[in-house]
Amino acid sequence: MRQARADEYAEFAVARAGHLYRSACLLTAGDTHLAEDLVQETLGRIYVRWGRVSRAGNPAGYAQTVLTRTFLAHQRRRSSTERATDAIPDRAADDGGHSDLSLRLTLLQALGRLPAKDRAVVVLRYWEDRSVEETADALNASSAAVRTRCTRALGRLRELLAEDLGEYATP
Amino acid sequence: MSVEHDEDRFEGRLSDALHDIGSGFDADRAALVAAGRARGRRLRLRRRAAVAGGAAGIALVGVGGALIVPWGGAADPLPSSSSVAEQPSGTPSAMPLTSRELITTLEGLLPEGKFSDQEARGTGDSPLPPYVRLVYDDGKGPGAVGVSLNRIEPGSDHARETTDCPDRTLVPHDSCVATRLPDGSLLRLFQGYEYPDRRVDTKLWSADLVTPAGQHVSVSEWNAAAEKDAPVSRSEPPLSTAQLKELVTAQVWRKYVEFIPEDPKQPTASAAPSHAVEPGVDSVLNTLVPLLPKGLDVVEKGEDYTYLVLDDGKGRSYVQIDVQHGMGDVADELFGADSETLPDGTKVVARESGGDKGVEGSVMWTVDTLRTDGFRVVISAFNAGTQHDAPTRPTPALTREQLREIALSPKWDRFR
Repeated sequence: MRQARADEYAEFAVARAGHLYRSACLLTAGDTHLAEDLVQETLGRIYVRWGRVSRAGNPAGYAQTVLTRTFLAHQRRRSSTERATDAIPDRAADDGGHSDLSLRLTLLQALGRLPAKDRAVVVLRYWEDRSVEETADALNASSAAVRTRCTRALGRLRELLAEDLGEYATP
Repeated sequence: MSVEHDEDRFEGRLSDALHDIGSGFDADRAALVAAGRARGRRLRLRRRAAVAGGAAGIALVGVGGALIVPWGGAADPLPSSSSVAEQPSGTPSAMPLTSRELITTLEGLLPEGKFSDQEARGTGDSPLPPYVRLVYDDGKGPGAVGVSLNRIEPGSDHARETTDCPDRTLVPHDSCVATRLPDGSLLRLFQGYEYPDRRVDTKLWSADLVTPAGQHVSVSEWNAAAEKDAPVSRSEPPLSTAQLKELVTAQVWRKYVEFIPEDPKQPTASAAPSHAVEPGVDSVLNTLVPLLPKGLDVVEKGEDYTYLVLDDGKGRSYVQIDVQHGMGDVADELFGADSETLPDGTKVVARESGGDKGVEGSVMWTVDTLRTDGFRVVISAFNAGTQHDAPTRPTPALTREQLREIALSPKWDRFR
């Protein structure tokens, strides 16, 4: 990689790594080790294609898409069928944040109970604030499929979280 | 409060909660970036190695395995690149394999002729993998013949690169045949050139065998007395591909591989079982493209996902394929009463659906296949250039029969 391009990549990676990591933590329902691994893999893949990525515009969005697909590919390798994570990593609680600890745990556990693709839809829609169409593009799925997943995931989360989120103040 | 309003509020709260909780995660960004860049460099190296691999399988031995750590362990995501040379360990067999044994073995397996310039490295001489080479003259001119042995993780990317035929545009060659032998070993017979750019017309023919037990035997021969810097001495290397195959599959080489100490730091030990690793996008698509009927243009190729967009002149058609392992547990879900079971036990079912519900006139044809070992190949074709756009044509560019033929092709066996 030529120096100017390498610098450009480094600047991008430093600027995005934090956000990618936070997204990855939500995707993995709080498995911070897996999240680190996914972010490294994502940054690695972008490194290889940086020339094209940087020219194409919106490299940040591209990185997010690569992260999501890397996560899904990992899930697919791990389990042959789409199934929810039963074991919730207990280390989620270790990373002290400023938000309420019990809500944090409850939310991560609820995310962990969603099938991987549904979780990806929720993260893209409600954390990344992407539209249904943008989410569909990122997942290589149809927008109808995304809507179905979204409805299903929201229904499940509502069941799991209604009480906790009911008290959550929406500004 | 209306249900809709309530739903909106729930979505709003969920979004707020995600933002609050997500922003609570923090990592050492500099470390992530450094590790990401290192992975990128390794990925790039791996791709280059894959390209070079076609012509120079032997040269790759000793660097390949260490580069590939798919999901070996989150605890140490950045293992320092280890090579066989640096990590000789494990308990070698009591008696090392000697260079003399290697030379005698090769001479014994070759047809009658004159042997000269013998050279070999046994397992006692060096921590590097063993090899033997000599100049063989069957009476029609001398040609160099070499055998190298190593361990390899079956099913790994490295193993696949060793036994897949390279892209002709990247590694020009005259012939390449990749097959699976009855014992499950993968064999690649390759006829190409020492210099892919053919600045010198030295021919390099090779046979690479990867057994299910992880033994890699590589035989190469040249139509010159040495790999490089020797004049072309005959029109073709001395052994035919049939003879090469016989030589590479000789059981004795596999026994010799067992003399190589196992390297506990190789990913073989810690990585997920190879059958759990799904094949890469490129290798799946590179297998798919040659199976397509003639007269179809590939106008788009997936990079992160295994799909192609085809055009037969009558409009674009999106084709997606999945190659998966361990799907036996969902056989009942996927293959109902309308499925068919072939004599070898493979289940096949064809499905037809309207594609995306939201798109008028959308057609999706699918053929799903499941081998008895849980290996699944499923292919779908659409009558549009994407999964969600309006149809560009009445039916997909591939017929149901063509989809079936593709999904059942023995070419997929290399991923099993």
